Amino acid sequence: MDALGLARLQFATTTSFHFLFVLLTLGLVTAVAVMQTRATLSADPVHARMTRFWGRLYVVNYALGIATGIVMEFQFGLNWSGLSTFAGDVFGAPLALETLVAFFLESTFLGLWIFGWDRLDKWVHLALIWLVTLTAFASAFWIMMANAFLQHPAGHEPRDGVLRMVDFSALVANPTFGTAFLHVCFASLTVGGVFLTGVSAYHFIRRTTEVDFFRRSLRLGVVLTALATPMLIGFGFGQFPIVQRYQPDKFDTVGAVDGAGLGFMIQIGFVLLLVSWATVPLLLRDWVVRLRFPLYLMVAGIPLPFVAAIGGWLFREVGRQPWLIQGVLTTQDAMSHVSRDQVLVSFIAFTGVFTVLAVADWVLIARLARRGPVSSDEAPVSPLVPAL
Amino acid sequence: MEGVWVALLAFLTCGYFALAGFDYGVGVLLRLVGRDEGDRRAVLRAVTPFFLGNEVWLVAAVGVLFGAFPRLEGELLSSQHTVFAVLLAGLVCFTVAVQLRSPGWDFPLVGGAVVVASGWGVLLGRVLGGPAVLWGAGMVVLFSLHGAVFLSWRLSGGLRSRARRVAGVLVPCAAVFVVAAVVTAGPVPVPAFGVTAVVALGLLGAVWAALRVERYRTGFACSAAICALPVLGVFGARSVVTVSVMADVSTLRVLTWAAVVVVPLVLVFQWATWWMSRAAR
Repeated sequence: MDALGLARLQFATTTSFHFLFVLLTLGLVTAVAVMQTRATLSADPVHARMTRFWGRLYVVNYALGIATGIVMEFQFGLNWSGLSTFAGDVFGAPLALETLVAFFLESTFLGLWIFGWDRLDKWVHLALIWLVTLTAFASAFWIMMANAFLQHPAGHEPRDGVLRMVDFSALVANPTFGTAFLHVCFASLTVGGVFLTGVSAYHFIRRTTEVDFFRRSLRLGVVLTALATPMLIGFGFGQFPIVQRYQPDKFDTVGAVDGAGLGFMIQIGFVLLLVSWATVPLLLRDWVVRLRFPLYLMVAGIPLPFVAAIGGWLFREVGRQPWLIQGVLTTQDAMSHVSRDQVLVSFIAFTGVFTVLAVADWVLIARLARRGPVSSDEAPVSPLVPAL
Repeated sequence: MEGVWVALLAFLTCGYFALAGFDYGVGVLLRLVGRDEGDRRAVLRAVTPFFLGNEVWLVAAVGVLFGAFPRLEGELLSSQHTVFAVLLAGLVCFTVAVQLRSPGWDFPLVGGAVVVASGWGVLLGRVLGGPAVLWGAGMVVLFSLHGAVFLSWRLSGGLRSRARRVAGVLVPCAAVFVVAAVVTAGPVPVPAFGVTAVVALGLLGAVWAALRVERYRTGFACSAAICALPVLGVFGARSVVTVSVMADVSTLRVLTWAAVVVVPLVLVFQWATWWMSRAAR
């Protein structure tokens, strides 16, 4: 494989890793914010315990989200300096806004939230988790805006041999932005819902004594999935006419990789929609727990929305080739002047490190999820997490 | 307008070196100051409240570099491809290890911190035309000193005296590095570089004196300034930042609105983090 192929593979790998973690981050933080709101309003301690348990899983997941995100950000300059040189004035603006308006604030708020347990006023602490949620979705907002520019460049004009921004509002109004952004938002809520459902179902399979705790968690998960999936599918199909109009080649040149990605995504989306709505009536009188077999399906379903999300992303990105910016800049021309060996070394380094750390992170999440909501004086896993 | 963005980039980069610098320093010294598992937990607990807020200064700085200096960003990163790749791999290991640590994670934690610190040193050396090995080792010394001063301030008892002893050893090492960096400097630096070095030596003396009289916060402020100085040296000694590498005014105008709102907000909330952690002690 040549330098260009390796650089593309590296981008795909890094983004896929990043995507797996940020999706769960977005979905889970929303659920945690809902739990903490109920904990603040109600006298029942179960809500506060739920906030801690699910919040801890969220923080452990966030660790890899931030690490892969840093590499994502550097990768543009490392391998795709042609992109920043030629289109940085326009494409760089939403990315810079993402780091300032979203990431910078999000991490600051999250640090305060983690270490503010029992130290801050409960309303201030509640406000912090909602600020974390808001800034997390703001990240997705700016990133999808930057990505939409690659699909359908708007708001720019060529001047001095590079692209200059002429109309920022055209970036916001980009037809390939809004629907896709909402699609990603509901995808992340689906991921969060399926995760809550699956982990709770696992505890019912093991006949947990924490019945009230996991009944509430399971209900929240099922309801979240049932509410998110119709919107998810609606905004998914809503993009077809837009792609048809602005990127007609995407459907004509569909290959093995992006075609399979699109197919999996659509099938999984419908399965989750049907199953979650079929489960809603079973929540009555805990039928879903008494029947038992749905519980096994729920655990088995945890990876499905992740697979669907990667599939959808592959279709959006691979389908645009050979363009990096549709009709304006080819992927080939955007490549940095670096040797094949340099790209190979960095590809091996990043992929190796990510694989090891991601597996370690998932093992840790699985262990914490399996252990359940034990009291907080147990042996800490790390200095950051047990602060919860 | 352009001047504001150069200042903001310098501010964010200095902030990153001054704040994340003690994260890396503490990482390097983890097993030196923390002799057993209980000690090591105490050492890391001193850092973790600030950790996420510290590391994200890098993200903000690179974001500004991309948005406001697009033609510098691509050039700088792709021309130093391998150094950045190694540095980032170390950064990922370190960041994740601090957050997920159990005793088995100490190798990626300490190793990652050393790689990140020396990686920044090599990059600074290349930009300033100094020997890479000297700068790589020198930045490990500076960040370690910063970490040791931070630990002297935030810990107590035996751990504090151990951190102080380490800091005491590192002050002369850092002074040797500063002198060597000036002597071996290439043709790039202008007199500003010499001035920076004199300031650095003065600050090192201040750190040493502050630790002796147990004025830890003063010492910490001085070691933070020492970590940020090489960045100022780069901005002062090289005209790397020119209008031609910057984005057009139309882009900067959009970004300015965001920066005017966000940067003060971040400063307030990061100050709140320090205030909260102090109140809890």
